[in-house]
Amino acid sequence: MADASNPFADPLRFQRQAPECAMVIFGASGDLTKRKLMPALYRLAYDGRLPASFSVIGISRSPLSDQGFEDLMREAVKNFSEDTPLDNDLWARFAPNLHYVPGDMKDPALYEAIGAKLQEIGRKNVLFYLATQPSYYSTVAQQLGAAGLTAQSPGGWRRIVVEKPFGHDLLSARKLSECLHAVFPEEEIYRIDHYLGKETVQNILAFRFGNGIFEPLWNRRYVNQVQITAAESIGVEGRGAYYQESGALRDMVQNHLLQVLATVAMEPVPAFEPDAVRDERAKLLRSIRILKSDEVAVNAVPGQYAGFQEEPGVDAHSNTDTFVAARFFIDNWRWAGVPFYVRTGKKLAKRATEIAIQYNSAPLSVFPDDGGTPDRPNLLILRIQPEEGISLRFLSKQPGSGMHLRPVSMDFKYGASFGGRSPSAYETLLVDALVGDATLYTRQDMVEASWRVVEPILEYFQSHKFRFPNYEPGTWGPPQADEMLARFGHHWRNS
Amino acid sequence: MPAAIDPEKILGELHQLWDQLDSQTAGSGGILRACAMTLAVVAQDEADAAQARRTIGVLMHDHPCRALVLKMHDGGELSARVFAECWMPFGGQQQICSEGVEITAIPDHFAEVARLIAPLRAPDLPLVLWCRGPDAFSLRAFDYLFPEADKLIFDSSAVSRAHSALSFLRMLRGRRHLVADLAWTRLTACRERLAHLFREQELTSADVKSAHVAYSGLAPSTEALYIASWIGLALPALHIRLERIEGDPGLRNVTLATNKGDLSLTFARGSQLEVRSCGQGYRSSLPSSDEAELMREELKILGRDPVFERVLG
Repeated sequence: MADASNPFADPLRFQRQAPECAMVIFGASGDLTKRKLMPALYRLAYDGRLPASFSVIGISRSPLSDQGFEDLMREAVKNFSEDTPLDNDLWARFAPNLHYVPGDMKDPALYEAIGAKLQEIGRKNVLFYLATQPSYYSTVAQQLGAAGLTAQSPGGWRRIVVEKPFGHDLLSARKLSECLHAVFPEEEIYRIDHYLGKETVQNILAFRFGNGIFEPLWNRRYVNQVQITAAESIGVEGRGAYYQESGALRDMVQNHLLQVLATVAMEPVPAFEPDAVRDERAKLLRSIRILKSDEVAVNAVPGQYAGFQEEPGVDAHSNTDTFVAARFFIDNWRWAGVPFYVRTGKKLAKRATEIAIQYNSAPLSVFPDDGGTPDRPNLLILRIQPEEGISLRFLSKQPGSGMHLRPVSMDFKYGASFGGRSPSAYETLLVDALVGDATLYTRQDMVEASWRVVEPILEYFQSHKFRFPNYEPGTWGPPQADEMLARFGHHWRNS
Repeated sequence: MPAAIDPEKILGELHQLWDQLDSQTAGSGGILRACAMTLAVVAQDEADAAQARRTIGVLMHDHPCRALVLKMHDGGELSARVFAECWMPFGGQQQICSEGVEITAIPDHFAEVARLIAPLRAPDLPLVLWCRGPDAFSLRAFDYLFPEADKLIFDSSAVSRAHSALSFLRMLRGRRHLVADLAWTRLTACRERLAHLFREQELTSADVKSAHVAYSGLAPSTEALYIASWIGLALPALHIRLERIEGDPGLRNVTLATNKGDLSLTFARGSQLEVRSCGQGYRSSLPSSDEAELMREELKILGRDPVFERVLG
């Protein structure tokens, strides 16, 4: 029963709590489970947001017993829970509901064993979580269907969470979608993009639509350009083989950064409801101008850091992009003509994810142009990570004689107003999936729209041999990225 | 007239305090000055003020604030001193600090204290007034303080005349104050459990045949009155029976008789709850309801609370 029909509901005070259910994790001995899923589940239990009977069934090929799996997960919580201490009493209550079923994901016997385990623990609601290699997604979905595990039962639900990548291009994304749709209705498919679960990304919506003063300035009339940067200071960290096949464009732009762009640029929603929000994001993604093949070279720059080709698992002549910068336009009335610069890369100067909205300069300079007043247009910076917050840069008079102006910054830091911890993206998104709220999940039409945007760039990158490496670790990427913006009279905001 | 306190002087002392904290932490991760509201607290006496300070220290992890602790005492002059509370987030390198002012006053000084609050509150941020103890329900001197606050928090649990306490809260609400009562906040876990059982058993309002609330003590406590009112609003077709039983004073049991069996919550000793849900019984612990937890919940709600407003009537 939904909370809306419960006469005792009090959404202002009652925490959103997961219902009685089982979560079946494919890839249970893998990194994602250990680093993200289990610490998030443990934190939810710590906060009392999981029912006492919440069960996890781990699936992977490793020959583990229930006890072995429990030990592995305990270590995972101990090592990867960044801000939650391991509470032995809580673990003693949580651990008995951890189960493990080993097996080959292609083997129908595995799915019979999962069915038997679900029967044994008696759960009507089941969340299947694909934390395995993407090449297994279709197989697992087909096998779940064949074993009758995806049938929606009266008063219960069966859902599936799919991790990115959702295909490696538009065609494969559609094929994956067909496989999933053969056994799950679209409303029970949860495509996770953890960027959308970040508090700071959600706050973009609060900032835009919860306040009256920003939205009137949120359009082509006032905004000169938008820069979205997701810079990592680390390299591929042992994921060379995966990354070589993926590259920065697929790994970051097609999903995370286009979703962030859509959140920044989408139209207001009539209500904060799953389909209303997703409809607007999807509309925005469909409005991004698709580059023609002869436009890609001037609107996109690939990069690769020096040393990538020596990483374990990486080809010595790899043509993979570890950096990408691109210029996009949104063909709608609000944004026509405003460039959206997007860049991401590994081994850059610092770790920083932020959105910088640069406003037009004042129409007339009324102050004396004697070198004391720089031309520094207003800048609104939404910092996603680290040092989460919002800054507004504006000019102010320097104290003293004369009328010299200097840029100053007005800063909001999350920590200064909200002292406590913020839930991790996975905590937020897991509870959402368990209660059936898909607002922060990606829909198939959004996935396809994103692939349409990046495919011309992808084709260009794949069909050209670049002079890689073209940037040194610890810099802001290849000089060509700076040159691209310089051609349009802009420069990157490197902070 | 009490000796006047100069708010400019207090604000100057706060500046000095921050300078001092900055210099003490120079070279380490430094400090972050955090403030999201002003929390004014009226404490009954010295010990109560100390307890309030401890609670504020816990609260500031989630609700960093400028605290104004008003300590009532038996005599003497109006006086004030500044303080800071700091904590280091788990795994963090930068201390987070909130500031506070402790004002010592007798109720006769409250008019003067009210004049101090305006310059001492953190500008443009909400001010919550937390009136600890039962005096706020009866001492008229508090009337000076109420208009300064965006939200008023009381605790009617220790009030002997529950109906009068609720009338008082209704009166304040009638004056367009946002009011809260920690006696209601204490019921959240129990209410949430009932809502959960109702959902778990897939019940509808039509399935409930009768409802009763049992209390002990000479008269029903505000908790008992609140929960009866809440159930009555959720199930308007039913008459909610309020029944006195033997035992420690307070709310003892809530039972809904339904077509599928009884849903029953019985409050046992030590925050234990005996749950019966359509034939199945078990005992569970209620989450902590110490005052820091209760205040944490209330400080999250700085706007209207429609459910409580309807329950208050």
